Amino acid sequence: MKEIEQVPRSALIWILLGMAALLAPHAGRLPVWVLAVYGACAFWRLQIFRGRWRYPGRLVKFGLIGLACTGIWFSYGSLLGLEPTVALLLTAYAMKLLELARRQDAYVLLFLGYFICITEFLFTQDLLIVLYSLITVWLVTTALVALHQGQQRFGTTSLRQAGVMLAQAFPLMLVLFFLFPRIGPLWTVPVKSHAARTGVSDFMRPGDISNLSKSDEVAFRVSFEGDIPARSSLYWRGLVMSRLQEGAWSSLGYYEVPPAERRAPEVATAGDAIDYSVLMMPTQQRWLYSLRYAESSQGGVMEAPDFRLFRPVEIEEQYRYEVRSWPATTLQPALSEWRRETELRLPEGDNPRTVALARSLREAAASDEAFVDTVLARFTNEPYVYTLQPPLLGENPTDGFLFDTRRGFCEHYAAAFVTLMRAGGVPARVVAGYQGGEVNPVNRTVIVHQFDAHAWAEVWLEGEGWRRVDPTAAVSPLRVEQGLEQALAGEGSFLADSPLSPLRYRGINWINSMRLQYDALTYRWQSWVVGFNSENQFSILQEYLGELNGRKFVTILLGSWVLVLVPVGFWLLRRRSPAALDAISREYLAFCQRLARLGVERAPGEPPGAFAERAVVALPQSASAVREVTALYERARYAGGDSTPADTLRSMRRAARGVGRQNRLG
Amino acid sequence: MSYAPEQAAPAAAISWRARLQRRFREWVNRRIPPARSVTLDQKRIFIFPSRVGFFFLLCLTVMLLTAINYENNMSYGLTFLLTTLFIIAILHTYANLSGLSIHAVQARPAFPGQQTEFDLRLERGGSRPRFDLRLGWPDSTEQRVSLVESGSDTLRFYCPVGERGWYHPGRLLIESTYPLGLLRCWTWVDLDLRAVVYPRPLASPDLPGHAAADAGGSAIPVAGSDDFDGFRDYRTGDSLRHVHWKGLARGHSLQSKLYAAYAESDCWLDWDAFAGLPVEQRLSHLCYWALEFERRQEDYGLRLPGVRIEPGRGDAHREQVLSALALYGLGGGA
Repeated sequence: MKEIEQVPRSALIWILLGMAALLAPHAGRLPVWVLAVYGACAFWRLQIFRGRWRYPGRLVKFGLIGLACTGIWFSYGSLLGLEPTVALLLTAYAMKLLELARRQDAYVLLFLGYFICITEFLFTQDLLIVLYSLITVWLVTTALVALHQGQQRFGTTSLRQAGVMLAQAFPLMLVLFFLFPRIGPLWTVPVKSHAARTGVSDFMRPGDISNLSKSDEVAFRVSFEGDIPARSSLYWRGLVMSRLQEGAWSSLGYYEVPPAERRAPEVATAGDAIDYSVLMMPTQQRWLYSLRYAESSQGGVMEAPDFRLFRPVEIEEQYRYEVRSWPATTLQPALSEWRRETELRLPEGDNPRTVALARSLREAAASDEAFVDTVLARFTNEPYVYTLQPPLLGENPTDGFLFDTRRGFCEHYAAAFVTLMRAGGVPARVVAGYQGGEVNPVNRTVIVHQFDAHAWAEVWLEGEGWRRVDPTAAVSPLRVEQGLEQALAGEGSFLADSPLSPLRYRGINWINSMRLQYDALTYRWQSWVVGFNSENQFSILQEYLGELNGRKFVTILLGSWVLVLVPVGFWLLRRRSPAALDAISREYLAFCQRLARLGVERAPGEPPGAFAERAVVALPQSASAVREVTALYERARYAGGDSTPADTLRSMRRAARGVGRQNRLG
Repeated sequence: MSYAPEQAAPAAAISWRARLQRRFREWVNRRIPPARSVTLDQKRIFIFPSRVGFFFLLCLTVMLLTAINYENNMSYGLTFLLTTLFIIAILHTYANLSGLSIHAVQARPAFPGQQTEFDLRLERGGSRPRFDLRLGWPDSTEQRVSLVESGSDTLRFYCPVGERGWYHPGRLLIESTYPLGLLRCWTWVDLDLRAVVYPRPLASPDLPGHAAADAGGSAIPVAGSDDFDGFRDYRTGDSLRHVHWKGLARGHSLQSKLYAAYAESDCWLDWDAFAGLPVEQRLSHLCYWALEFERRQEDYGLRLPGVRIEPGRGDAHREQVLSALALYGLGGGA
């Protein structure tokens, strides 16, 4: 006897809307054909609804699944990993539309929709994406409600109901969010593929950093305890590259360092300390950025023998760490034999002109220090050009750059400088990281973008240890003092590929202030909500609640829920005593009173019909109005009524007004 | 899940399960006593996650595991939002049934093997719309209604009936999973509705004790063979067709015309006419004859032990006679 539970039309529309909204933020990551599958499936389902087409048979469905898997394989080269898994999920989700016949199917589709919302969060937890996802969740919930309201007409009733419920659930969610214990991962899960990584890599060829400089993404944000140091001193060390191989600089792996050298040497700190915390965006790399010389007391942050910080695990999510730096500290006053040899090594026979130049310059210089100055003076005095669009270099790139093209970006200068130093017998290495950053006056954080990526050099001098030398500064002092945009102002190549980046419009005041306000908000969001972890959970709870124990925990959880649930329950379940039908009775009684004032009084228990007849005789001018009110009343009261009570009520009120007026006129 | 009070366990195998069911029935009977009108309140409404709800909880678990393993705070947030949505849905689902009134309107009599009709009136009791209500007795058709535009609705259910006597449909199940389908809210109400089931009509060649009026084997007095015989004072039970209306118009007292054949055709369905047959068969034969007389537009009366219905006909008379037959020996009259 059970009728088949169909999916009503309005629910179908909401489902399609919800799916489109779910898909939109994923669209940029998906191959185009997945989007086409969506369009096709939605169209097919609508044709089914209109009775034109039919549901696909089992064979067709299996065929489609096979095609989808093959398509994912071809697009990603694998079915494993986060991106292909999500793409497969989204494709299956689209095709599930072709199975959407009964209510049960709709449940599967909608619950899957919630899950797809979560997969979006695995890629980004940006504030705007989260706000957008709230709307998506609202749409999916609306579809769920529409499924039960069973109305064919598409309207906003379901939207309102879903909105009310979500609004009521929201405060409860906040309580759970802050109280739920954060435990570490239970098992390893597929991670984002490394194809998506942006940021400085541990392998530097000419052109790598200039590529990075085309991106306006944020690399990390820093908030300083005290004053923000001068821009020209903000050298964020990330990687130290000591090895030149086949034209590329790279850093030494852990096992390439002899065991005796693996521990970070003891350092006697000197000068004033700077305290700051860095909130890093995910890099899928291990190294961290800091000013020299940095130490971090935070668990999980380690120090490498070349005085940089790193984490033993890759940074898959945004990561925040506290650092203390002493810029005036002397680093490694004495070099070990192995270290000296490593920092001097050059490939045999490469770049012969460079090597010859270095030897002659070193011979002419009185000391290593003078040699450094000579080389830097050469960069300043000779016609070297700082540019984002350097020409290609052939074999012996350093020779080509130093003697022929003389146009390059920071990595060219750093690499050439270090090669010159090493050829001249001075231990030197390339350091990669970021330089500078934008100070946000709203919350006094320093925003470091990808285009702040930079490479410079460190040379070891007797009695001084490692000294930072930035050959780029010798060519283009503006780059260090004011940043890339000013340094490239003549060329106009700053963010040339992203015409819509708000960073290009820093000259327009209101756009810039909006951008900075939003960035400050993002910083808050990232550090307090996205970065909420067991540590700050514990400290916040302890700060507000004092000593923590299980009973307090449960009391707060339940207490806050009661605070929300009781008013909601009261609001939902209160008896609406003036019910609609009773409103009609009241209207009728008001009408009787009106007649009574005109001299016709209704006897107790007198049937409305009889009373009306009496009233008509007494007030013949109002006959039609009296009859109308009575008829409306009796119909509403006894016949169940075809029109809604609200309509009846309106008509009665209008007619009853007629009684008085006509009488007074008459 | 369905509640069927009529299901009696076989006496031989009263297991703990049957006993448990009986206990439960008794408990429900105490909690929701039979009444013609019921307004649902917290004493009468039950609520529990539906199958879909359990599936949803499973999905939430998967989401929570994702959030934990990816240490993703927004995933935590969404999982918790949906968890609390589930909790909020308890109130909304409950509110969809709470305050609803159900009134028993009528139950139609039926013959065995036919379907009876039960009419109910549903009032939402307030201005809040009610959605996706499913109503039905264990054996009846199911109705799915929403009260959105109007405040009330009349519903009709069809239900196959059993043998002669009272048919109790059992408890009416009212359930709803609105608004999210995650929770099922239901109640069983006993609306004190019962339908009369007439005896099964069983043809018999003739009506013993009744003078056969024609040779064709039918023992029915022929209404046309009426020779006027005179007047007598009207007695209750006399056919209105035989009332001497003209005399009444002239101011005489109410008199019936007497016909010669009339006295003999004043026909009685007599319990004793089928002496020797089993009770049910007797009733079935009497039922058959009652219908037969009704079809032929003849007056007939009924004599059962302890019951006497004067001759007459028409729908009301027919129902009276058939009900008397239906309820014979069952006590607790119509």
